[in-house]
Amino acid sequence: MTAFLELKDVSKRFVWRLDIAAKIANLFGAGLKERAVHAVNHVDLAIQEGEVVGLVGESGCGKSTLGRIVAGIMDASDGTIGFRGKALAAMNAAERRDYKLAVQMIFQDPYASLNPRMRVEDIIGEAPVAHGLIKRSEMGAYVERIMAQVGLDPRYRRRYPHQFSGGQRQRIGIARALAVKPRFIVCDEAVAALDVSIQAQVLNLFMDLREQLGLTYLFISHNLSVVEHISDRVVIMYLGRVVESAPTEQLFAAPNHPYTQALLAEAPKLVATRRDYLPIKGEIPSPLDPPPGCHFHPRCPHAFARCKAEAPVLKEIAPGRLSACHLNDQV
Amino acid sequence: MVATLQVENLETHFPSRDGIVRAVDGVSFAIEPGEILGLVGESGSGKSITGFSILGLIDPPGRIANGSIKFKGEELTTASPERLRQLRGARIAMIFQDPMMTLNPVLRIDTQMIETVQAHEKVSEAAARVRCVETLKAVGIAAPEDRLKSYPHQFSGGMRQRIAIATALLHKPDLIIADEPTTALDVTIQGQILYEMRKLCRETGTALIWITHDLSVVAGLADRIMVMYAGKIVETGKIATVIERPQHPYTRGLIGSVPGAMPRGKRLFQIPGMTPALINLPPGCRFKNRCARADATCEAMPELAELQPGHGVRCHHPFGAEPLTLAEVR
Ligand SMILES: Nc1ncnc2c1ncn2[C@@H]1O[C@H](COP(=O)(O)OP(=O)(O)OP(=O)(O)O)[C@@H](O)[C@H]1O
Ligand SMILES: Nc1ncnc2c1ncn2[C@@H]1O[C@H](COP(=O)(O)OP(=O)(O)OP(=O)(O)O)[C@@H](O)[C@H]1O
Ligand code: SF4
Ligand code: SF4
Ligand SMILES: [Mg+2]
Ligand SMILES: [Mg+2]
Repeated sequence: MTAFLELKDVSKRFVWRLDIAAKIANLFGAGLKERAVHAVNHVDLAIQEGEVVGLVGESGCGKSTLGRIVAGIMDASDGTIGFRGKALAAMNAAERRDYKLAVQMIFQDPYASLNPRMRVEDIIGEAPVAHGLIKRSEMGAYVERIMAQVGLDPRYRRRYPHQFSGGQRQRIGIARALAVKPRFIVCDEAVAALDVSIQAQVLNLFMDLREQLGLTYLFISHNLSVVEHISDRVVIMYLGRVVESAPTEQLFAAPNHPYTQALLAEAPKLVATRRDYLPIKGEIPSPLDPPPGCHFHPRCPHAFARCKAEAPVLKEIAPGRLSACHLNDQV
Repeated sequence: MVATLQVENLETHFPSRDGIVRAVDGVSFAIEPGEILGLVGESGSGKSITGFSILGLIDPPGRIANGSIKFKGEELTTASPERLRQLRGARIAMIFQDPMMTLNPVLRIDTQMIETVQAHEKVSEAAARVRCVETLKAVGIAAPEDRLKSYPHQFSGGMRQRIAIATALLHKPDLIIADEPTTALDVTIQGQILYEMRKLCRETGTALIWITHDLSVVAGLADRIMVMYAGKIVETGKIATVIERPQHPYTRGLIGSVPGAMPRGKRLFQIPGMTPALINLPPGCRFKNRCARADATCEAMPELAELQPGHGVRCHHPFGAEPLTLAEVR
C-alpha cells in the first residue's frame, strides 16, 4: 500500500548567517562563525490515509519544522516527500497546487499567522471562494457555519483579529484551515490555547470529520492526554530525530525508549495537591551542538559506553513499533 | 499587610457597532505578596483583558469604565500614563499570551534583554549579559550564550514563550501577570519553569497571577483559584476546595471536559451550547442557557456568595456536598 504521505530521510538545517555586526566584529578578529541548527535530522515517516499520528517532543526538537515541511510550506534541505505515491519534487505546478490545498496547517502561533488588516469573514472565506469551492454569494452562510463549528459566535464575523481573545484567534486559524476542505491537516499545538471545554468541542469536531470524510491528521502537541485521546499512533522526537513510534495504546502502556519513559512519568495529573516541581536534571542539549552518539545520552539513566560513540538507528522492535535505543540490541 | 494588588468591581468595555462588549464586568479580587493566584475560565471570558486593565494597556476605544485597581495601595485607574509605564517596566511585569507582544522581531534577543536589565538598574553591559544568560538557563534554553545572538524568528514557538518568561523574571518585580505562559511547553520544561516561578515567589515575595486553561497546572502550582465566565467571576477559593468540591456548574463542566476522563477515541464531554457574545447580554445568570440546573430563579443574576469562608460561588443552585461523579474525578 502506498502511504498517503511519506517522508524519506528528510532533514532540515537552518544556517545562522552572520549579521553585519558580527561581520564587523570579525574584521577585528572576533572569529565568529556561521552555525547550523539541525532542526530535523534524517526523519522517515509514513502516514496512511485516515490515520491520526500524534507528534510529541521537547520544545525546540523540530516538530513545527517537520510539520511545515509536511504541509509544503517549507522546503527540506535533504530527503524526499511523497504525497499519494508521487514525489513532491516531481510534481508539476497544478499538482503542487492541489497538494497545497489538500494539506492545510493550523499554526502554533495564531496571531502571527492571521492578517491583522483582514476581517475574520475574509480570513476564513476568501480561500474557498478563490479556489472555487463555494460561490461568493454563499460565502457569508458558509463562514457562519464554520465559525459555529469551532464555537465562535457568527456575530463576530466582521471583526479584526486583534479584537479577539487568544483562544478565539486560535479557532479562527482552525476555521480557516477547515474552510478549504482539506484531506490532511497538520495541527501544530492547535488546541493549546483553548480551555478544556472548547478543546473538547474542537477535538470532537476533528474526530467527526475524520469519520465522515476520512481526514488524516498529523497532530503536534505537548499535551499527552490530548495526544493519547486522539491519535492512532504516536511518534516521539528528540533533538531532530524520531526516537520512537508506536500504536498509541502500546506506547502509553509500555514505552520503550528511555526518553519516552521519562516523558510519560512526568505527565501532570489533575489532583489538587501542591506538586514539588523539580529543575531539569542534566544539561539540556543544544541543536547547535548536539551531543555525539545517542542525543539523549547526557540525560539518560541507562546510558552506557556505546551510547556516547554511536547513534542508535530507528528499527522495528515489534510489529508496528519502532525505537532507536541501543538497549534493544542487548539480550 | 497591604495587598500587592486589590481590584474592586473592575469593568472594562469595548464599544462596537452592535453594542458595548463587556469584556470584564465587575471583577473583584486581591492578591498578597508571595501568593500565587490561578485564573482559569472559558476562552473569551475576559482573563487577558483583566490583566491588560491592571497594566493600563487597554487601547481606545476600549476603556476601564468602572472600578478601582490598587497596586500596593496606589490607585492605578487614575494614574498618569507616565507612572503606569514606570510601574510596568520596574514593578509589574506581564508575560503576554502572544510572546511576540514582548519581543521585537527586528532586534536580536541580547539587545532586547540587556536593554530591559539596564532600564532599571545601572549595571554594565557585561553584567547585564551574565544576568540574561543565567535567566535563559533557568527557563531551560540550551546554549544561552549562542542563542542570545539570534532573532526571535529563529526560535521555536516554545522557546519564544520561554524568552518572554525570562524577560519578566529579569528584575524580580512585585507582581507578575503570566498569561498562558506555558501553553506550548512540554512537561519537563514546564516543570522547570514552575519550579523557578515558585522559587521567585517564595524568595522575593513576588505575587503571581497565573492565567491558564490547564487545570492540572493550576492545581499543582497555585494557592487560590478564580474561575471566570463571560466577564464575571463565578467561583473562587482554595485550590483543593475548588478542584475537589466544585460548586458552580461551569466549574464542574470544566473539570469534566479534561481529556483522560473519557476512554480513548470516544467523544469528549463538552459543555453544551456556546458562550454568549458579550454584547447585549440578557439579564440573569450568564450560564443559564447551558446549565442543566437552571430554573426560573436563574433569571436574576446570582451574587458571588461565600459558601464557606474563602469559597465564593455565583450560583443559585450550588452543588453542596454532592461528590463529583467518577468520570469527573478521574
Ligand atoms: N527560521 C529559523 N531559523 C533558524 N533556526 C530556526 C528557524 N526555525 C526554527 N529554528 C530552530 O530549529 C529548531 C527546531 O524548531 P521547531 O520550531 O521546529 O521546534 P518545535 O519542536 O516546534 O518546538 P516548540 O515545541 O517549542 O514549538 C530550534 O532549535 C529552532 O531554534
Ligand atoms: N479590542 C477588542 N474589541 C472588542 N472586543 C474585544 C477586544 N479585545 C477583546 N475583546 C473581547 O473581550 C472578551 C474577553 O477577551 P480576553 O482576551 O480577555 O479573553 P480570555 O479570557 O483571555 O480568553 P482566551 O482564553 O481565549 O485568551 C472576548 O470575548 C473578546 O472577543
Ligand atoms: S541509546 Fe543509550 S543513551 Fe540513548 S536512550 Fe538508549 S540507553 Fe539511553
Ligand atoms: S445560577 Fe442557575 S443557571 Fe446559573 S449556574 Fe447556577 S443553576 Fe445554572
Ligand atoms: Mg513548534
Ligand atoms: Mg487570553
